[in-house]
Amino acid sequence: MNTATTTTTVPMSTTPARPWLTGVIIWALLLSAPIWLPMLGGYTALAGRVLVLGLAAMSFNLLLGFTGVMSFGHAAYFGLGAYGAGLTLKYLAASTPLAILGGVLLGGGLGTLFGLLISQRRGVYFAMVTVAFGQIAFYITYSWDSLTGGYDGLRGFARAPLNLGFTTIDITNNSTAFYYFLLIVFGVVTGLQALLLASPFGRTLVAIRENERRARFLGIPIERHIWMSFSISCCFTALAGAMYALLNNFADPMGLHYSLSGEIVIMTVMGGMRAFWGPLIGAALFVVLQDYISSMTVNWMSFVGMIFVLVVLFFPRGLLGMLQRGVGK
Amino acid sequence: MLQLVLFNVTNGLIIGAFYVLMALGLSLILNLSNVINFAHGNFLALGGYIAYILVPFLGFWGALIVAPLITAVFGFVIERLMIRRVYTRDPVYSLLLTFGLAFIMQDACRYIWGPNGLPMTIPDSLSTPLSADLFFITWYRIFMVAIVITAVTGLFAFLRFTRVGIRIRAGTLDLDTVAALGVNVGMLRSMNFAVGSLLAGLAGVLAAGQVGLNPNMGDDLLMPSFIAIIVGGVGSLTGTLCGGLLIGVAGALTTVVWPAASEAVIYVIMLVVLVLRPRGLMGQEGMMS
Amino acid sequence: MSMLDVRNVTKQFGSLVAVDGVSMQVAAGELRAIIGPNGAGKTTFFNMISGFFAPTAGDIVFDGTTVTKLAVTERVAMGMARTFQITEIFPELTVRENIRVGVESALGLRQKFWLTAAHKAQVNRGIDEALTLTNLTASADRYVGELSHGDQRAAEIATALTLKPRLLLLDEPTAGMGEHETFAVANLIRRLHRNSAYTIVLIEHDMRVVFNLADKITVLGEGKMLAEGTPAEIAANPVVQAAYLGSAE
Repeated sequence: MNTATTTTTVPMSTTPARPWLTGVIIWALLLSAPIWLPMLGGYTALAGRVLVLGLAAMSFNLLLGFTGVMSFGHAAYFGLGAYGAGLTLKYLAASTPLAILGGVLLGGGLGTLFGLLISQRRGVYFAMVTVAFGQIAFYITYSWDSLTGGYDGLRGFARAPLNLGFTTIDITNNSTAFYYFLLIVFGVVTGLQALLLASPFGRTLVAIRENERRARFLGIPIERHIWMSFSISCCFTALAGAMYALLNNFADPMGLHYSLSGEIVIMTVMGGMRAFWGPLIGAALFVVLQDYISSMTVNWMSFVGMIFVLVVLFFPRGLLGMLQRGVGK
Repeated sequence: MLQLVLFNVTNGLIIGAFYVLMALGLSLILNLSNVINFAHGNFLALGGYIAYILVPFLGFWGALIVAPLITAVFGFVIERLMIRRVYTRDPVYSLLLTFGLAFIMQDACRYIWGPNGLPMTIPDSLSTPLSADLFFITWYRIFMVAIVITAVTGLFAFLRFTRVGIRIRAGTLDLDTVAALGVNVGMLRSMNFAVGSLLAGLAGVLAAGQVGLNPNMGDDLLMPSFIAIIVGGVGSLTGTLCGGLLIGVAGALTTVVWPAASEAVIYVIMLVVLVLRPRGLMGQEGMMS
Repeated sequence: MSMLDVRNVTKQFGSLVAVDGVSMQVAAGELRAIIGPNGAGKTTFFNMISGFFAPTAGDIVFDGTTVTKLAVTERVAMGMARTFQITEIFPELTVRENIRVGVESALGLRQKFWLTAAHKAQVNRGIDEALTLTNLTASADRYVGELSHGDQRAAEIATALTLKPRLLLLDEPTAGMGEHETFAVANLIRRLHRNSAYTIVLIEHDMRVVFNLADKITVLGEGKMLAEGTPAEIAANPVVQAAYLGSAE
């Protein structure tokens, strides 16, 4: 189906004129957020949410933007990551690193398994099956009352102080310390993602996005690479979910629902799915807008829906996509 | 015990009938336009609410006919105004568009008619049970099944015998060729979307008579409809029909033995089908890719 | 022994027989052209050789191994590469990146998360080689989607060459090109054949290109093989003249 013979279209530039500039600005803003955010009336937890959802969207974008396949059920792996972390803290060990590991194993593991069943599918059918799989995870989580707390969500756990051997960092009560902990994790993961995309493996994924037929005739086993990409994306998304559980000391079944999947997609597209930092920008815009709108009106759903429609109809390239085109050409 | 089984089988058939109406509409749009309509459940709700407005003026029977038609017109307009703009783009955009539309439509229903459930009156003749032994089967349930059978038969006849229907089927197989024959593909897609909306609207009226109205009434049907399509096989309307009935009845029968698992069984069926027969029960080879 | 030995292949689509019992042997180092009017089954024939789909009957033997039922990627690993009638490239990548994907795939590095210095050097050598061979060094860092039709075709051939193919299949390499571009692509093919000794099978509509380049020509018509021979033999063949050349002019 995918012939991708868009040889006559003028390609959009995939790298900005000064690729490092966006990164520098973003890191400067993130590092100083606890200073400037309160001045604008924001709060550190909001920054934490941006970071976590931004991480989820960037992980999701490994698939959408860089492999060219469209998962519409990524909330499942995010939510499973959150439950994995929560359950680890509640029942296994009071250790923040172990909680993160538990989340990644649960979300990434199930994602890897599901990925086996869908790597042959493309386009909207890929999306449809991923939505359905996401709902399986949602369904199991809310029906398994005794373990997960059902509709009320999982409570009764709290992130544990970080024990580094020589010293212990209190990230439980100090929200700024926790923010910087989040930021370090975010930095490590996005660093890994950048390395991945610059590697031969990352180029192979982009090749699949660009032209599946050509890639296959260069000897690339498409299905296996899509599966690997899906699995990696799910692991990172689950990690973001685990951080979300740590941020709130709570895991919510709505964190697995497909409406969050849709929100992850719109964040990605809004920020620019062909740009590395696009999903983070999109997440920041979306989270702040949603926060603002839901404090203003009970009809926030309409406004969120309007964001979807407006982005699709008028800003399909996303913010960074538009900026880069402006600068690059 | 027999009564319980019978009760659940009829229940399953009725639920299955709703899945079928929803899924057939979704399937039509998916096959011809390559769009997953996430707002399909909201078209269902819209059909119900329109009927709710019309009943005082036209009576139940009038509303049953007119409300789906108005829903179809609404679908036609939405397709013309918005959805057609994204056909040539990456499919992610059409999904996001219908996703946003679902949010807006649901919120609009809540804004206009309130968040709480509203009852819809149905004629007395339909609300009586069949007999004392079969007290759990009202005439309305029989009536619903009859209407769904009529609608599905009508749809298949429409696709087989009318010019537009034949073009829709041909376009599903090879849109380029249909376009090359001089058919206005844009208009064909709009009409096809309208037919899909009509089915959703009809399901909405029927559902409103059975369980009343609320803004989320279509939500619970959306996911099973996706599964009906996946199970039946993408690209095959007959498959969608069988898929919908299968998961409806399977869910209801499971209620007899293990009520808690009645929803799970739908997902299990999907997984089993995907593992054993990835293209679905009646799907064509390669249609899923 | 021949590099490619196609034995009596048939392809049916439903009731339509697109290719009907065609055989063809291509020797190592040969440049074979396949010609025939539209609907003769040339592309179907090509698709069976390259593994796009399997034949209904018959066998395809590549360098001594039967590949009839092997997947595309397996045939590529054995040394088959192809280009398409409508150029298939990675339009939003630069020429260099397009070629790099091929080189890394051919060297078995496509799943690596990092490269050693030795591998990096090897990859860069491969890229430069393909660039030089196809005269694309000057436009190496431009996006392929921005190039002219002829250069896009050259880039596609360059990516195919990274596989160091023992058999290069070109489906209408000059399709849709003007005089100048056709000449450039034909020259490229000639260089690959004469200087680098590639074994090439190509489908081509432009008879000047065919008769200038080919060692041997296979003529298909309505799914069957009409004739086979050197350009001189084909030009003189009355069956071909009647069935094909006559109708084309």
